[in-house]
Amino acid sequence: MLSSGTSRLHRSEHRWALLFVAAPVVGYLLFTLYPVAMAFYTSLTNSNGLGVARFVGLDNYVRVISDGYFHQSLFNTFFYMIGIPIGLALSLALAIGMSRAIPARTALRTIYYVPVISSLAAIAILWQWAYNGDFGLVNQVLAWFGIDGPNWLADKDYAKPAIIAMAIWKGLGYSMILYLAAIQSVPRTLYEAAELDGANGWQQFRAITLPMVRPVTFFLVVTNVIGGAQIFTEINIMTPTGGPELSTASAVWYIWRQAFKYQQMGYGTAMAIVLGLLILVITLIQFRLNRRNSFVLD
Amino acid sequence: MKKSRLAAGMVAAIALSTTLAACGAGSNTDDDGKLTFMFRGGEDEKAAYEEAISRFEEETGVTVDVVVTDADQYATKLQAAIAGNNVPDVFYIEQASLQSYVTSGILLDITDHVAEQDVDLDNMWEYGVNSYRYDGKLQGTPEGRMYGLPKDVGPFAMGYNKTMLEAEGIPLPSVDEPYTWDQWLEVLKATTKDTDGDGEVDQWGTGLNVQWNSQGFAWSNGADWTNEDHTEVTVDTPEMAEALQYIADLSNVHKVTPNAEQAATLDTYQRWMAGELAFFPVGPWDVSVYNELDFEYDLIPFPAGSTGEPATWIGSLGIGASATTAMPEEAVQLVTYLSADETAQTTLVEAGIQVPNLKDMAAEWAAEEGAEPANRQEFLDVVEDYGRPMPAAFTYGAAWYDELWTNIQPVIDGQQPAAEYLAEVQPRMQALLDEANAAAEQAAAANASDS
Repeated sequence: MLSSGTSRLHRSEHRWALLFVAAPVVGYLLFTLYPVAMAFYTSLTNSNGLGVARFVGLDNYVRVISDGYFHQSLFNTFFYMIGIPIGLALSLALAIGMSRAIPARTALRTIYYVPVISSLAAIAILWQWAYNGDFGLVNQVLAWFGIDGPNWLADKDYAKPAIIAMAIWKGLGYSMILYLAAIQSVPRTLYEAAELDGANGWQQFRAITLPMVRPVTFFLVVTNVIGGAQIFTEINIMTPTGGPELSTASAVWYIWRQAFKYQQMGYGTAMAIVLGLLILVITLIQFRLNRRNSFVLD
Repeated sequence: MKKSRLAAGMVAAIALSTTLAACGAGSNTDDDGKLTFMFRGGEDEKAAYEEAISRFEEETGVTVDVVVTDADQYATKLQAAIAGNNVPDVFYIEQASLQSYVTSGILLDITDHVAEQDVDLDNMWEYGVNSYRYDGKLQGTPEGRMYGLPKDVGPFAMGYNKTMLEAEGIPLPSVDEPYTWDQWLEVLKATTKDTDGDGEVDQWGTGLNVQWNSQGFAWSNGADWTNEDHTEVTVDTPEMAEALQYIADLSNVHKVTPNAEQAATLDTYQRWMAGELAFFPVGPWDVSVYNELDFEYDLIPFPAGSTGEPATWIGSLGIGASATTAMPEEAVQLVTYLSADETAQTTLVEAGIQVPNLKDMAAEWAAEEGAEPANRQEFLDVVEDYGRPMPAAFTYGAAWYDELWTNIQPVIDGQQPAAEYLAEVQPRMQALLDEANAAAEQAAAANASDS
């Protein structure tokens, strides 16, 4: 390529091009690859994040394998992901509703989007109150129906579902907006043709809407899984001690506690790397499963 | 196909890097003729400290940049600053982190500076001053070098709702003679009742949080968390089991507390403030809020177990200086000013956030006419006489201690006997303590060979 152009202008433009390419590459090396490499090195030491660290080889990784609390926190993290399909189904249903001419449509869309732009910390504190066993909004509403609600966040069986419900509520608006855009870009002609063929509403949804929004579904699943694997803020605010018997502790929460509270930066980093690799593997599997319609990425 | 693989790689790379991007490093030692002071606290505390610091600036001509964080974020932010070689000149230090900060060469040895600055250490609480002394092996000993001074000491006493006890016709508890556990239980039973006749109990004897309130019960029953030099975990004793079981039984057997599920502090704290609880522990940091409540309250010692002596914990937070500060003189001056200067202490005490660090001032403060609570002296008795440091205050990190609370819920709920649980958890705590002690030795050795 370089040899094909010989004029001065051509070479000068090439140099400029390299400079432009260099900017993001250097940025990536400096701010991503270098920290990752440092993190990997740290995971092989007994660093406490403060002073001199000693090289301990794979000790931290051996400990990851046998640490029951880390396994528990990983289990919790993946348990929270039950909320992802529920949230996607709800937001798709909402998006379909919102794409019709219903009264106060703009107002409704806005209401559903408010949680998305609100501060996560503020939301977590509000929900912590809502889940309070005595005075909480949730239990007051349940009491109208004669149900005596549990003390949600202090009960090891109810704490996780409570957090899932909050996460679904928080993410609904974002998924809905993306689905809305996808639904509105489906060509009307497809529905018209289907109607002529005598397809009912459900058949139209199954055969047209669902496949046409599939790229969005895929995007949302991938980003939600990655985001869900890193859930931290709401856990730390709503259950500062990781919940009864560490029943709400997420993997990132546990990593944070070990690294910053107990000053085991080396071990915390090793767990972070394991978690990162797990996310990588899961994401690769998702891409493989989605290969059939890889055309949508073109 | 190719594109999808590329996209996959990119997404994965992003995922990996965002997970890991927690650690970074910079290099910057500031030498700008200003001190940086990093601390934490709520609004009241922030205002009081800013007032004290502006007076310090006036008196000394030293400019102080103040960095204040929420209580939750303090440790994380301080560590980030340290990792970035941007250690604040003066900062709060927790008792339990002192050793790792010293062995990592982050805290300045201020022993000589303090001696030069003519601070009357004899007029300060020994417990507070000694908490930040460390001789390379033991922390809290009077012989150790000094790595900080106390910001405050936090004695934790028992409080009672005077208005309620008077209304129930129950004789007020003695401030000198602690209740025995049996006596206390009788009073708790007498105060637990349904006051408005709707068939539901709406007034209780107490509401304890095992993680913060059980220490006094355990110690006064002759139990402790570790042996004296913090090498053996000793929670699997009958005395400890009895103390924990007593607390659990208050809820499950005697039902003199709001029921077990509601033991999370938030709820009992609010019930106390609503006047629904007869007894509730009180720390100095609570006083400014409790003085505004609709009922009168006062302080007594915690109920005493088999030893007959009351016990409770005293917290403390320290103020230390950075070992790499460009202005060690001024930094230590700020430390001593905040900890031991009379004017500064007056400002902080009047804000209702702490008891005085100075003994003579504290005596006046306790004897003050019309003081609320009336028995302020109880706080001082805790500090001088029967208070103890938290079990993990002087160990290398608190992971071993937190382990006790992680799985304790079944005991609190009455599903597992305390003795059985303690026998189960002791080996796990021991392993973590061994690890902490090994880490302490390694860190000390590494630091010694490094410097």
